[in-house]
Amino acid sequence: MDYGSEVEQRFLSPSRVGEFEEDTPGLVSGEAQDRTLIVWIRFQVQVLDGTIRAARFNVYGCPYTVAAADWAAEWLEGRPSEALTKLGMRERHQALGVPVEKLGNLLVLEDAAVQCRLELESGQGWKGS
Amino acid sequence: MAREIYLDYAATTPVDPRVVEVMAECLGLDSDSANPSSTHAPGRRAWARVQTARAQIAERIGASPDTVCFTSGATESDNMALVGAMRANEHRGRHMITSALEHKAILDTARALEVQGVEVTYIDHDSDGVIDPDRLAEALRDDTVLVSIMHVNNETGVLQDIEALGQRCRERGVLFHVDAAQSTGKVPLMLKQWPVDLLSLTAHKTCGPMGIGAIYIRKGVSLHPLIHGGEQERGVRPGTLATHQIAGFGKAFELADPERDGPAMAAMRDRLWAGLRAIEAVFLNGHPTQRSPHVLNVTFPGVEGDSLQLALAGVAISAGSACNSDVPEPSHVLRGMGLSDALAASTLRFSLGRFTTEAEIDYVVERIREEVPRLRALASGAPAWTVS
Repeated sequence: MDYGSEVEQRFLSPSRVGEFEEDTPGLVSGEAQDRTLIVWIRFQVQVLDGTIRAARFNVYGCPYTVAAADWAAEWLEGRPSEALTKLGMRERHQALGVPVEKLGNLLVLEDAAVQCRLELESGQGWKGS
Repeated sequence: MAREIYLDYAATTPVDPRVVEVMAECLGLDSDSANPSSTHAPGRRAWARVQTARAQIAERIGASPDTVCFTSGATESDNMALVGAMRANEHRGRHMITSALEHKAILDTARALEVQGVEVTYIDHDSDGVIDPDRLAEALRDDTVLVSIMHVNNETGVLQDIEALGQRCRERGVLFHVDAAQSTGKVPLMLKQWPVDLLSLTAHKTCGPMGIGAIYIRKGVSLHPLIHGGEQERGVRPGTLATHQIAGFGKAFELADPERDGPAMAAMRDRLWAGLRAIEAVFLNGHPTQRSPHVLNVTFPGVEGDSLQLALAGVAISAGSACNSDVPEPSHVLRGMGLSDALAASTLRFSLGRFTTEAEIDYVVERIREEVPRLRALASGAPAWTVS
């Protein structure tokens, strides 16, 4: 399968894999999965003063899923927290080099990001100052 | 390790240079490239090539040359066996038996026969993918015409006991077909001893060319032809014989000695497994000993198969059979053996061959040992279904 250079690069060298320390200020998490598509993703973002300062992810899935998760984490950083509901994978998958038949996997990423937003709004994230 | 490493011999094999040489002698000007059905001198030379190849193939499988009928490959041979045998024996019944672990060439043909009113029983196997001959005997009925079971499973390498399975069929007067596409050159084919009526063969899994195969038809067995249009191959499979491909097929089979090559392949397969089994939680699919020397099917829980394949860039392996590679579904063979979708998707098939070296095996082991922990770390925190 020809994944294209961006997908390969992000898959082989993802830059934002992992988790934050538990006591990280402004930390919220969101997970989503689809067992039929064999995808699981967890995003963690640090939100301070309404802005996403940093993003991390862990993912189980194909190279397209990994690359899209890496792209999403990078894209989120520096954006307002509302961006968690605006990943727009339907519009962006072609630019990423992800074929349409893998769009379902990317929508799982969107779900995980939305879960982060929901956790933020519910105040269930880190409660320190 | 500069060149690409090829560990997908079960998908296809590089054509041996000695086979290429023989094929070249049947192509182009001043070669034996005439129509082998022609009665002039060039045609007779081409016909001699065909007959030489037929004898080489017959020798390799332990049969007489007049039982070998050329086809375009094992898929066509499988279709001929199933459809041809069922049609020729409609007066005897409309029931056949096969296994859910067969190649798609058998399964899809069986399903097509079901649409035409043939009843198909998909016989059970154990968790290692082995069929119990006594279970087969229990499934045979008075109206059973045909049993079709593959010799070497293309995904797991598991070997079936063809002699015992065939004996059960012979005792009930049921035709026994064997898909032996993966067998030649790895395990002996002994048609002089085996109670087999039909056998599918192909050249391209044995360092021969693609596009040519054969079906062994035991004397006295009738098949309805699938193709009409001539008298070649005694009308069973008409069409101009492809001399160059047939010559290459024969040479490939002449070179494919399982007694000489099988132990060496098994040693390398075992070397590969010894390296991989040291990785935590990795497991082998299929019977641990009743297996072909050239295939290793390994599950890496917690690692998605496509991701591991890409991480091993430069190593050609399969995350499922090639014939299914366009289908984003878990392997029917692994699912049939009880693996979950996630574990089936975490599985790679390694298949070795004539040109595989120990250095290549060692390099692949080293790379996998690096990549599996990295990919597992990427999925840190993933739920239990990804590893069970």
